[in-house]
Parts: sequence; C-alpha cells; structure tokens
Amino acid sequence: MKTAIAFTLNRKACTVDVAATDRLIDVLRERLATTASKKACGIGRCGACMVLMNGLPTNACLLMMWQVDGAEIITSEGLVEDAEAAYVRQGLIEENAFQCGYCAPGFTVTLTALLSATKAPTEAEIRMALEGNLCRCTGYHSIVRGALRAVELKGQAAAASK
Amino acid sequence: MEVLHPTTIEEALWYSGDEETYFVAGGTLMQLDWVMGLRPARWLISLNRLPAMQGVEMVAGGIRIGPLTTLSMLERCPEIAGLPLLLAAVQVTASPAVRNRGTIGGNIAGRRGCLIPALLALDAQLEVARTGVRQRVSLFDWLQTAREPGCLVEAVFIPSPKPIARSTYRKIGYRAAFTPAVIDVAGLISVDAGRIVHCRLAVGGGVAAARLYEVEAKVAGQSLDDIDWSDIHGEIVEAIKAPTDYFRSGRYRRVAAANALVYGLGEVLPKLNELPKRRPHQRRPGLSDEIVLGRRASGKDWHVRPDAPAKVAGRLTYLTDVREKEMLVGRILRSPVPHARLIDIDTTQAEQLPGIVGVVTHRDIKGTNGFGIVVQDQPAMCLDKVRYIGDAVAAVAAIDQETAARALSLIKLTYEELPIVDDPERALSCGAEAVHAKGNLQCEIHFSRGNAAAAFAGAAHVVEATYVTPRQMHSFMETEGGYAFVDEDGTLNVCAGGQHGRRDQMQLSRLLGIPEERIRVVSSPTGGAFGGKDELTVQPALALLALKTGRPVRMQLERMESVVAGTKSSPMRIRMRTACDDQGRLLAQEVDLLADAGAYASLSPGVVETALEHACGPYEVPNVQTRARLAYTNNGTCGALRGFGCNQMSYALECQIDRLASACGPDSLEFRARNLRKPGTVGYLGQAVAPTERLKEMLDAAAADPIWDLPSGLSADGTEILGVGMGMNYQGNGLGTLPPDPGGGELRLAVDGVIEAAFGLDEIGQGLQAAIRNTVAREMGCGHADIRPVTGDTATSPESGSTTASRGTFVVWRVARDAGPALAAELVAIAARLLGRDPDSLTIAPGGVVERTSNSGDLLMTFADIAKSVSPQDLPRAATAFEFPKSDYFEGNARLIFAFGATLARVAVNRITGAVRVLDISQHTAAGPVLDHAAYLGQIEGASVQGVGFTLTEDALLNRGLYVTENFDFYVIPSVQDAPQSMSVFALESLDREDAFGPRGIGELGIGAITPAIANAVADATGRWPEQVPINPEWVLSHLAGVS
Repeated sequence: MKTAIAFTLNRKACTVDVAATDRLIDVLRERLATTASKKACGIGRCGACMVLMNGLPTNACLLMMWQVDGAEIITSEGLVEDAEAAYVRQGLIEENAFQCGYCAPGFTVTLTALLSATKAPTEAEIRMALEGNLCRCTGYHSIVRGALRAVELKGQAAAASK
Repeated sequence: MEVLHPTTIEEALWYSGDEETYFVAGGTLMQLDWVMGLRPARWLISLNRLPAMQGVEMVAGGIRIGPLTTLSMLERCPEIAGLPLLLAAVQVTASPAVRNRGTIGGNIAGRRGCLIPALLALDAQLEVARTGVRQRVSLFDWLQTAREPGCLVEAVFIPSPKPIARSTYRKIGYRAAFTPAVIDVAGLISVDAGRIVHCRLAVGGGVAAARLYEVEAKVAGQSLDDIDWSDIHGEIVEAIKAPTDYFRSGRYRRVAAANALVYGLGEVLPKLNELPKRRPHQRRPGLSDEIVLGRRASGKDWHVRPDAPAKVAGRLTYLTDVREKEMLVGRILRSPVPHARLIDIDTTQAEQLPGIVGVVTHRDIKGTNGFGIVVQDQPAMCLDKVRYIGDAVAAVAAIDQETAARALSLIKLTYEELPIVDDPERALSCGAEAVHAKGNLQCEIHFSRGNAAAAFAGAAHVVEATYVTPRQMHSFMETEGGYAFVDEDGTLNVCAGGQHGRRDQMQLSRLLGIPEERIRVVSSPTGGAFGGKDELTVQPALALLALKTGRPVRMQLERMESVVAGTKSSPMRIRMRTACDDQGRLLAQEVDLLADAGAYASLSPGVVETALEHACGPYEVPNVQTRARLAYTNNGTCGALRGFGCNQMSYALECQIDRLASACGPDSLEFRARNLRKPGTVGYLGQAVAPTERLKEMLDAAAADPIWDLPSGLSADGTEILGVGMGMNYQGNGLGTLPPDPGGGELRLAVDGVIEAAFGLDEIGQGLQAAIRNTVAREMGCGHADIRPVTGDTATSPESGSTTASRGTFVVWRVARDAGPALAAELVAIAARLLGRDPDSLTIAPGGVVERTSNSGDLLMTFADIAKSVSPQDLPRAATAFEFPKSDYFEGNARLIFAFGATLARVAVNRITGAVRVLDISQHTAAGPVLDHAAYLGQIEGASVQGVGFTLTEDALLNRGLYVTENFDFYVIPSVQDAPQSMSVFALESLDREDAFGPRGIGELGIGAITPAIANAVADATGRWPEQVPINPEWVLSHLAGVS
C-alpha cells in the first residue's frame, strides 16, 4: 500500500508516493536520484547515509518514510547554503581527509551538525561525535585533522568579523 | 505493514492488543530486530503524536521520564547529570545519530537495551497503561513478564536514591565505541552510618537483564571496609547466567562482568601474574634524513588531491550512483545452501512477473562459464553445483527494486544438498567430500634449502608455535555494483568498480564469447577496494542482463549480500619453528602453512605463494624448509586483500624473532640487527633483487623512536598494562616473475588544451590521481592544473596492468619519466614552428611554453593555443608500454623490487576486560621518493588502522558454511575511537645511485607489520605472545590472572 509522504528535502517541498515503511535512504537513492547520501550497511552502523532531520544527524537507513512525514531533511547536497558546512568542507579538503570518499558526505553532515551545536569542539568532542561514522580508508586521523582545521577556520572567520 | 497514529493513550491502547500490533517510538531497535529475523507486525502504532510522552521532570520522590524522551535528550538533560550511572549508560548506547532517534521507552521495551542494567540498579519503576488500567511496576518485575502487545510504558520513574557511596556502569563490547554489548554491568552501594544499607548489582546487554539479588544480600549490612571482594567476585561469576555464542564464551562474560563490578564498587583489580621484567631501552641516534609527513610538515609538498572537493561535497558520481530514465534494476539470486548438486533452475514464473524485463542463468552464457584470475574455477552462473552461499545461480532485471526482489523469490531451484566442507584440515583428509572434481587440495608449494633438520638439531634455541589468522573482510564502504548497457554500435559497456579494467574485459570476453574490442570496461572511481574488487564481482550478471534486455541495467549489492558473495582474506594456520645459535644468529626456519581458499581459487594461490616467499622476511636464514597448502572448502570464497599474505607471515615471523631474542639474550633490536639480510646479496629465493635496501636504516629509525620512552608497565590507575612492540616490514612490489605484469600509459594534449595523463589504473581512493598529476607535471615542467588524469576506462586509457600489489606508483613514475619529456619536446616543437623560433630556445612552464632564458616567465603560447592550432587528429601524444620489472627466478614466483619499513606500536592491555587498545603507532618507511605526501600519509595511516582491525576485532565467522557476521554490527571494523591516539609516519626517500626503479609502492606497506608490532607489544606488557588474531580478550584475561 502506497501513501503520500510530504517533507522538505534540501529546503524544497517534496511529496513521494511510497510504502510507509520504505526507508528514506532508498527513496533518496532509488526514487529521487539524490545519490550523495550513500548506503553502505543499511542498519545504521556506518553513517554513510547521514542526513540532518530537523537539524539533527540521523541515519537515513533507519528512517521509515512515515517518520519523515512533515520533517525537514537536509542531505549532503543541501549543505551548500550552510556556513558551518563551508568550514567543514574547507578543512576536510585542505587536510585531504578522505581517500575513496564514499563515507565523506556522511562525515560532512555529522561534522556540520557538530560545528553548529558546539562553538569550538575539541578533538575528544570530534571523536565522540564521529562514533557512528565508519571510514575504511583513512584510519580517521586525517578526518579528525580536517575537522580541527574547520574549527580553526571558523575561529579565524569569527575573529576577523569582530 | 501499516502505521497508525493515535493521538491519545486510550486510542493507542484500543488499536493494540494482539501479536499483529507493535508500538513504535524511534524504531531504531525494532528495525535491527527485523534484520535479525523478527517478523514485522502488521500494524505499527506510532506513539509520536501522543501528548506528554517526552521530557524529564523532578517529581516527589524521584525523576519521571517520558518514554519518548530520546537518548540524546537524556544525555543533555541536567536532571540526569545527578545520575551518573544512567548518564554513563546513555553515552555508550548506540551512536550519537541513533541516540537522536532512539528513546528510553524503546530501549526498555526492546528488553536488551544498554540502559536496562543501569535502570535496574537504580530500582526504576515503570508506569504502564493497559486499557482502563494504570499501574506502577518495578522494571525488574516487568522484565519477568512476556511481551504484552496491549501494554504501554507511560513513564519511567527513578526513585531518588539513598546517598550513593559508590556506583559503576561498564559496557563491555567488541570495540571502543558503538559496539554491540558483550555484557553490561551496573552497580551501586549506599552506606549509612558505616554500614551498607543496600547494594544493587545488575547485568544486561549481551545477557538477559538480571539483578544479582543473592550477591547483593551478601554485601548488604556489611561495613564497606570489611568486604572480601575476591569472595564477592566468585559469587558474581556464579550468579550471572550468560550464554556462549560465536564471539565470546559465557565464562568470559561472567568473569569480565565480575571484574568490572568488583573494580567499580570495590576498587579491587583481578590478580595479576608477575609482569615481565622489561629491559631498559637503549635509545640510539635516529636518522637525520627521514621526513615527517603532514600538511604543516610537508609544506609546499602538500597538495589538495584533484578529487577532494567533489568527494567532500558529495558531488562525485560513483559508478553505483548513475541513474538514467530507462535503467533497469538488477538483482542476483544466490545459492540457498553452502553445498549442493543443482538439479533444476526454473525461471518461468519469474519471467512472467509484470515488471520483469529479463532473467538470466547459465543458459545465457555463450562463452566459457568459468572465471578466476589464476584458474577459471568459478561459474558466473551455476550450472550443476553450488559451492558456497554466495554462488550466483540466476539474475533478474526489473523496473524497480521491489519487482526484482519479488522475481528472485519466484525462481524455483531444485537441488540435492551435499555434505558441507567447513574446515581446511578436514577438507584435505581422506574421504572428505570433494568441493571440486579434482579434489580439495587447490595447490601445495614447497621451498627448501640447506639442511633444516641438522640445523635444528644443533641449535642453541628453538621456538615453535602455530599462528592463526582471521578471515578479514575488505569492508570497502561502497559495496560491489555499477551498471551496464549496449551502446548504439553494439559495444557492451560494463561500468563497475574494479582494479584492472583490461583483465575484467578479457574475463568478460571469455565468459560472454564476445571479442574484447566489443567490450568496454569502466572501473573507476571506486569507493574502496583493498583487493576485494580485483576479481570479477557483479560484472558478469550486469553484462548478461544488459545483453539479454537490450537496456541499461544497474545493480548494487546490499551489505549483507556483499558479505556473503565477496572474497575475504584466506584464514591461515602457520606452524613455524625457528632456530638460532647461542650468538643469536638465525640457523633454520620451518614453516607449514594451511590456508582456506573457500569455494574458489581466485587469487588465493598467489596469496599463499607470496606468504611463503616472505617466510624469512628481511632476515638471512641458511636452512629453510617450508610448505604451504591451500584447501577448497564451502566457507565463502577468498582472494586478494591488502598485504597479500605477507602480513600474515610477518605476524608469525616477527613474533618468532622476539621470542628467540628473549630466549637467547640480546634485545630484539640487536637480535634483528644480527640477522638482517645484507644489501647486494641475492633474494630469499636466490633471485636478483633491486638496489636501495634500507633495512638497517629502518631498524636504526625504530631503535631511535621516541615510542620506547613513553610510559610502560602498569598504568597510573593500575587497570591497564602498557607495552611496546615492533616488527620489520618488507614487502615485494609487482606481481612477480610468473604472471604477466604489463605497465604503460599515455600522455596527450586534449582538444581543450589540458594534458591528459591516461592510465588503465584505477582510482580506488589511494590517491592515484594526485600521484599522476604531481609526477607528470614534474617530469614535463608544467603546472598541476595543466594535467587531467584519465583512469580506469578501457576506451580512453591504455593497458597499465592491475591496481594491486603496490605496483601503480612505479607505473605512474615510469610513464611520466619516459613519455613526459617526449610530449614536452613535441609541444615545444609545435610552439617553435608556430612562433618561428628555435625549439632549443623554448621550454615548458605552467600553462604553456616560455622562452628558456625568460626571467618574467611570460607564456609565449598556452597549451590551449597549441591545441587550437593543430587539428584534433594531430594533437601530440606520447605513450609507453613495458613489463613491470621482473627478477630472474622462474621456478617459483619471485619479486625484484621491495619496500622497507619498521612498525612500532604501544598498547594498553586491560586487566578488567582483557581488551587490547592501541595507543600509539609509529611507521618508518623507506620506499624511495614520495610522489604525493598526502596520499602516502593516507595509505600508511589507513593501512595501520586496517591492520589494527585485523589484529584486534575483525573476523568474518561462518557456521556450517553460513556467515554469522553479516553486517557491520558483528563484523567489527575499527571506529574512530579505536584509532590510536597518535600515529606518526616517516619516509626515507633516498635511492641508491645506480637504482633505476624509482619510487616504490606503499599501498600494502602500512599493514605489513602492524599485527606483529601489536602482538609483540602485548608480549612486552604481559609476557605472553598471542598466537591467534584477532586477539581474544578471554585469552588475555586467562594469562593475566593467576598467582599474584
């Protein structure tokens, strides 16, 4: 049985006719062709599908569509207008944080939320925030360095605007 | 399944009532339960519209928590800060993102949540609602009753505890964070007037949630100072009921839980054997010419990789991301059993299903139905036999995923099950069921020299052990997938992540009976490979479906299918006997290796041969006797994985070295120094080897490493024992003397004025594009922006060989060196002609051509100007092709070029849980000039942590041919919290003057000696060498405890 689910996807209204228990990640990738969010485990263990749901990092593979009804979803594609995301991306790029890059959109979403919620997260806070994001290529240190660089860039921008 | 959205509790209760209904809050645990086999209920009753179900409030006598309060709300809630026991439990439950969805009510209702032990210890009560009835029951009593569909938890009430003297919560898991629970414990003690008024002890997580009432009763009433904690420990071990499963024994769960409770409440640690006496480390001077890698340290040599911005922004289209309107969705039907004779495959019903466009089986294969890089023993679609649970039997192409999945269920297989061969030793025993007609011994290799028996007889010291290694899964994040289509001129295009497009093309040609030139393979970009995409994966099914339907077909494996179908590293048992004289000089090495190939050979024969080639690693041993056997079984299927057998062998060898050193006197560094192979001598097999040997330098660098001076022995709080260990690292590059190993590439000016550097290599994450860009730009004298790497497409790039065996670095360097100056000269010649100047007066600069003597560097012509001035077919190009450098030994497979390293690790061994934590890793590497600093650093760091996983947590377990570890929940790769606190990477870049082989590849170097470094560090800490990895915490505990 299909049902109409309405939500905002990257600040645009979106309605899809789906089964209520279809997962958001499958709808994003199979129906809407928004493929920045990746599906690498399907059970909430790897964070490759991380999206912001009403501002909070959420595994899109654990979101059934009935839970998305009325929600505001931001995927990696939708981070373009986000100031925090710009620092995160710049920091990650400068540090060459990723290799194959398949986990990168998920990490970027998680780190953007962290930088929005915490003014200047420490390495310990960054590590804690990333406990749900798996990366196989890097050994994580480059990602943590990229996140710390993002914190630094954000701090520099704040100092410059004073 | 339908979802109901009641707005009052009474309405919610009215809907509920039978087994076909299920209350849902965040739904995170419920969805995992579905994966584990719980049958989804017909009606989901969402609680999200019920009023006042969320929030925490202080009420008379305690705290009242709404069941829909998410775990992340709890984490931030000031009222919970006063309940450290609960806060600790919340913080180790799932991941931050799952805590944003998961609720306290769901954690309780799932009956195995990690909060339950904490709540039991806090004596929590539940306010439960049934139609017309409200009731407060203790959580403990509620847990004793069966699930009751019509019963809703309305609130969790935590009574204000009596002043708590001591409390503890510990989750014992499989890794540092976001782990399933092995067992959770919680305990608290309240004291009044010197006497314990109550003690509450609870367990849960990996065991059924329970209070340990009998033990509590023994503690209550005593004075805190009078408690005999060792007695209590024994009582707790007896009281806990814990299951043994594939991962941990019940005994381990009970002992670790008792350790945790007794330490947490009594501050008493388990008894400890006498620790080994550590010899003071003699710090040696370091190497002055080693460089440190990193953004700051590398300075101008630190470049942003070409693909970084697109990857970080999520703009990079992987081959599994391509979506086109007419595309069909493919799925593969895999064998339902690990071993059977196939009698019939009936696809009639599936073909008739509306929305199904094509079904393929072995009947659609026009060529030879067998593939495999070494031997073609694996059918693309099974015909008369299935040999493992991932064997492909049929495939379908449908208009969408749902239809494809439904079609698979309509294919009828008739088969007769055969005995399952699930152990390599038994596979080779007399009378074992044959997995393949020619028998279960896939290959057997011998190599010996000298007289090992006589040498052992006369040796001063002999050590012997059997080392066991796991079935490691590559765990690339992008599962196997891609798309295929037949284009207008009839060419079959197969686009799926791979590691050697031209070999995939050849294998597909052989399977499909289509000439290679009619097949185009695109194999980049790929979301990680590590050897796991070296063999064909989904390409045959995609190709068959595209040919059959005439439409584009895409496919990506779900993780569980990837686990089942994909290759793993071959588990090995390596029996090793090693001898030295009384001066610590190695005399003899005996190796007997048995490896599990699984159902098909793939590259496993090469893996065991390479392992054997590294049987003496970088050491000189005059007498050698070695044997390796590879057995077919029905245990999944194995193949190449980063390290290719070297890492397994170096684990065994480097532990033997430390053991002999400890037996005969000198420290392990000195022992190694006495036995290192001498530069300029022949290789292990008697073959010629390349110059630039840097073993002594690596050993010197290891000796000088500051890691030796960091704290060791008992940690400040006594809960951990710290130790340092090392391993030498010595890994061959290239495929060796026996297989074909082609290299080559082409540099060309494109129509848009960019210099294309085309390689048949694949960007699998390693930084190929950066290496190409930097190296070609340097050899040509142009800028980075002038270069466009073109990789992984048989239509646009030439044969470069495989992206494996640490060989890409050499190929890139050699092409740049040979073709770069040639293309530069041609560009200069064209510019000179157009400008009417002497070519000798011009040279290449970033952006184009300049006057050689110009100080200003003004461009006389840009590359775009040059491109515009010649017709497209006359655009200059320079190509080169060669065989990867080979040695002169052909009786077996031998390498010519090696890279060198020394790896050090500092570990902490936990006395409570037996878990090993890697604190610091230091990697000294010597692999010639670094082509790209960031890529080099990334490869070594990433391989280090992949090696940590191999050593501490990873093993793809099977039971009777079926995978037990089906996903990233129980197949445990390191999380960010398992990465060491520090990793240092050093590179020694120099080459000998006469060295013509340039930079060495380092894709595998970083994983080579991680395991022995950790194992030797564990031995340094505890006195015992782990002979099985992943290191079992139960083994650790059993060797730590004992006589004090």
